[in-house]
Amino acid sequence: MKWLPLLLVATPVLAQEPAVPQFRAEPAAVAHRFSGEWTFMVGGGVAAFDCSGDGKPELVMAGGTAPAALFRNDSTEGALRFTPIPAGVEMTDVAGAYALDIDADAVTDLVLLRVGENVVLRGLGNCRFERANEAWGLQGGDAWTTAFAATWEAGAPWPTLAFGNYINRAEEAFPWGSCTENWLLRPDGRRFAAPIPLTPSYCALSMLFTDWNRSGQPALRVSNDREYYKGGQEQLWHVAPATPPRLYSEAEGWQRLRIWGMGIAGADLDGDRYPEYFLTSMADNKLQHLKAPGPGALPQYDDTAWARGVTAHRPYTGGDPRPSTAWHPAFADVNNDGFTDLFVAKGNVWEMPDFAEQDPNNLLLQGADGTFTEAGDRAGVASGLQARGAAVVDLNADGRLDLVVVNRNGPAEIWRNAGPGGHWVAIDPLQEGAPNRNAINGWVELRAAGRVQRQEVTVGGGHAGGTFAPLHFGLGAANQAEARVIWPDGTEGPWQPVPVDTVTQIRR
Amino acid sequence: MDLRRRHFLTLAAAALSAPALPARAAATGGTEKVILDWYRLILELVRHTATYSPPVAARAFGYLGVIAWEAQAAARGYPSLAGQVNGLPPRPNDRMARDPAVVMQGALTAGVRALFGNTGPTGQRAMNAMQKRLDALVGGRAADLAKGGEIAAHVLAWAEGDGGADVQNLGFPDGYEPSNLPGAWVPTSDIRLQQAPLLPEWGHVRPMAMADGMACTLTPPPPYDETPGSAFHAEAMEVYETSKTLTDEQKIIARFWSDDPMLSPTPPGHWISILIEIAARDALPAERLADALARLGMAQNDAFIACWQSKYEYNLIRPVTYIRRLIDPKWQTLLITPPFPEYPSGHSTMSGASAEVLTAIFGDGFTFDDATHADDGLPVRHFASFRAAAQEAAISRLYGGIHYRAAIERGLDQGACVAQHALRLKTL
Repeated sequence: MKWLPLLLVATPVLAQEPAVPQFRAEPAAVAHRFSGEWTFMVGGGVAAFDCSGDGKPELVMAGGTAPAALFRNDSTEGALRFTPIPAGVEMTDVAGAYALDIDADAVTDLVLLRVGENVVLRGLGNCRFERANEAWGLQGGDAWTTAFAATWEAGAPWPTLAFGNYINRAEEAFPWGSCTENWLLRPDGRRFAAPIPLTPSYCALSMLFTDWNRSGQPALRVSNDREYYKGGQEQLWHVAPATPPRLYSEAEGWQRLRIWGMGIAGADLDGDRYPEYFLTSMADNKLQHLKAPGPGALPQYDDTAWARGVTAHRPYTGGDPRPSTAWHPAFADVNNDGFTDLFVAKGNVWEMPDFAEQDPNNLLLQGADGTFTEAGDRAGVASGLQARGAAVVDLNADGRLDLVVVNRNGPAEIWRNAGPGGHWVAIDPLQEGAPNRNAINGWVELRAAGRVQRQEVTVGGGHAGGTFAPLHFGLGAANQAEARVIWPDGTEGPWQPVPVDTVTQIRR
Repeated sequence: MDLRRRHFLTLAAAALSAPALPARAAATGGTEKVILDWYRLILELVRHTATYSPPVAARAFGYLGVIAWEAQAAARGYPSLAGQVNGLPPRPNDRMARDPAVVMQGALTAGVRALFGNTGPTGQRAMNAMQKRLDALVGGRAADLAKGGEIAAHVLAWAEGDGGADVQNLGFPDGYEPSNLPGAWVPTSDIRLQQAPLLPEWGHVRPMAMADGMACTLTPPPPYDETPGSAFHAEAMEVYETSKTLTDEQKIIARFWSDDPMLSPTPPGHWISILIEIAARDALPAERLADALARLGMAQNDAFIACWQSKYEYNLIRPVTYIRRLIDPKWQTLLITPPFPEYPSGHSTMSGASAEVLTAIFGDGFTFDDATHADDGLPVRHFASFRAAAQEAAISRLYGGIHYRAAIERGLDQGACVAQHALRLKTL
């Protein structure tokens, strides 16, 4: 009779188990490889954004030694299908890609991170782009660029761009400690001024402008790879208008953390208005929770990865017992139940025998109690390829978030989310006529079923790529919702009803 | 064996006035460069190879030191360590008059590649670059390179059977059940892998110069006691109160000797760094350098075996656990508590052993500057002797909040005992 009490104990837990979405692999949807050896052991980002105007995101994938490529989204509500088209992105040595509207002309532009000169591409419309380094005064440098973020500083006509650079690739026998300078590019009118070094630089693999303390002034979070820096650590930069950037210091509460930082994702998981941050690493992923949220908060975090079940430190399926290597993280509600989930792209760096060779991606579903449950295998996304960049985004406009993963020296993978899932809304905040047209570093709040969810609008983070698309919120069974935007200047827009199961643009 | 500093200064002055090395290096000068360049890379590989926790690093330094010595012995007719260290059989008869630099290059290339075969892509690339660079420097016959490779293979075959060659899961075993006894070690880390202690079987690895892991055992630590005023409680209070009054100098000392895996060359690498800095500064002749690296490496290897044997014999609770449980629930340590039992202090045992070896070679009162962590932004520290450095390394663990005094003081004693076994070996 011993089974009875076990069953009674287990039943409530089972009742809270989040619904597992079914992801259908669509191997014919796209044909692309991110290839290369040492200088492309990192990178492999993907940018997801709509450049055709049909509401479905196109994909730009880094190619490493192969050319980068833009894939037009020809998906229907059922199957996913992408067609490579000439777009102006077809250059080699691309490690990552981010989309944003730099010149506020309502046409999305692109930043390509490269091993060599970075390239900014002005959007011409209809998924065509042209080089704009010279026209916009952007110095592309000649580094091994691996991270990017953008924000609009108050009063600035154009965005401020941060580029994160990696190892000095000319160093062969002693590359350690050779991290090259990160750069901050501020606008000078409708051009970019000369780069400002963000020194010390510690081999950044992810950067994110984020309003971590809800002060209205985004700071620059930098996640650094301890494999290569000396004397380094994770970083948080003050980036205040008309002021030189400066690091948060220990005197300001900053606490030293040294990990193999590879990716950043932020989300307010607990509804306290302040974002948590997931930092990917090697067997040592962190879920940082602000210790004392509130006005005057210090930049001090507890690591709650273990408590919430997101350590993701070794493969959970496939039998490889060795530690994991994590790259692109993304918070997103993949089952539309109103609780933000977490996807983590996984893959061995490059024949590192002490780490898992078959290292499946994680899909960690958040339950109502705030803990996460691994569902990558049950959802069908537990690929063992060497994943790097990824995007969790609705590719076929059916209201369910699909998945794209770029693999190093392997085929890119796409999965269609076949549900089940609840209702949803997607919010597209728009500041018509303003420089910061897409309200970057504003916040969207959604109120449904007695709960408020919120997301920060960001450009950056992840690993070498990001999604530039309406913000997606799951609603579960709720069929009514209200939303508001807290604009980047701090102005709180009014709560307004939003229709469910569709995309709503909120204009200012 | 006692080389006085004046001798090295003379050599250094001679080196400064000597013409640059020709394209094909002179025999001994080339050998020194081969050793020093490989060891500089080895220190980086230790830092950047995930399995290289301090005991594993010490093991590598032990075998690499033996390889370096055996290469010198084979090329220049010195006594081999075969038959002196545990289980190393003699090699087939070696012909003399080989080029020592080339033999050394062949030996260290093979040794480093084998011991760091599991390093990442950047380490692999660096080893390729180093091999290419030094092959070009020494030139030499392929037969001498091959002879070096054979010497390394012989030592590596010996290494395979010591019980420490296979490190799984970064050294943290699956399924470890911590003891429930009062005073027993419990995990102190939020990192999932570190819920098991590091390398609990390492005390059974075959030593090199000691007979076995029990050759330098310790008296027990003060008995576990939660009573205020008891010896154990008093030791914990000392750690706690020290942490509340740390001076800036004490904080620097704690960080200087922190020597965290993956963020430094580890504690044994720190002492190797001290040795190669001195060797470069004083133009230490190749045979002396190889001898010192072999003795130091073997002593470090054996120190960790002896220390780990004691750690898992006593399985003692860390200060952070005891103090938070009984004194101050919010207490924070300056250093991150390492994920294994407390008694004795590994850094103290290993530093004690290292200091004794280096004192025997260079003499008491040998002064030196330690710039091991200069690249990481930590200051250069000056020491009046190796023993002074070891004592500072030991007390740094109390400043860091990770060890009680008994673990420090007896760790140093244990290290001194271990060193004597390495110092008894016949080389020069």
